[in-house]
Amino acid sequence: MPTEREFQIAPIVPESVMHNTKALSNLQNLTASIFGAAAGILGLESYSGFLFYLVFTVLTTVLFYAIRVAPTSLKAGHATFDTSRFFRTQYEFWAGGLFGGLAGYILTWTLFYGLVRA
Amino acid sequence: MTWISKSTTGFGLLLLAHACYSAHEHSALQSHRAASLSSLPTTQSGSTTSLPIDITIETVLATLMICLGLVSGTSRLRPIQWRVWAGQIEREGEAGFTNSSGEVEKDYVGNPFRLLESRPGFVDIRKQRKEFAEWVKGQ
Repeated sequence: MPTEREFQIAPIVPESVMHNTKALSNLQNLTASIFGAAAGILGLESYSGFLFYLVFTVLTTVLFYAIRVAPTSLKAGHATFDTSRFFRTQYEFWAGGLFGGLAGYILTWTLFYGLVRA
Repeated sequence: MTWISKSTTGFGLLLLAHACYSAHEHSALQSHRAASLSSLPTTQSGSTTSLPIDITIETVLATLMICLGLVSGTSRLRPIQWRVWAGQIEREGEAGFTNSSGEVEKDYVGNPFRLLESRPGFVDIRKQRKEFAEWVKGQ
């Protein structure tokens, strides 16, 4: 956990933090709704639906890492799967989307399940 | 760059809509068949089968395509550490802060040390006087 002293030595730009977090959470909310539609069309029920969400969200995050984070982060000398150049904590990047998009996912999942199986 | 991501997303959405329609038709057909067959004594137990494999594949492919399109359509990330961020501005200027369609983003602030660099105490007044004198001679 960084201390006050470390923040004084290596300050952080709040605008950049907000910009990056907004980009990631927008993406995750959008994709969660799309995954819900797909799960409803496939007719998934109970655990398989949540498993579907988990797999695709992790896939999206890895894709986001590969396209947006990795090219500049690896060039700057960070280790693989290290997102400290753009995000404050690793947890925020890798697991933040799982809970942020879950509500939207369940909403569209139930909607499309009901629509398709009329 | 922006049209690639948008067309990928659009095509994926089209595929997803088609898969949705197909799945709906499939379930409607199944229920219709089940209703018409229920009068017969040999009712097929497998009449309420799961989704055909082609609709499943189409749905998953469409989801992956939309996912790829949306991810490649996100804006560029910015370094959060002050020294990295200010260094990028020094090195690349506005070119490092363009959005996907090539325009400079609205919240680009420019050099954070601009105030320091234009401080009156740091102005080299002798050099400026020399330049002015040369300019006057040249006129």
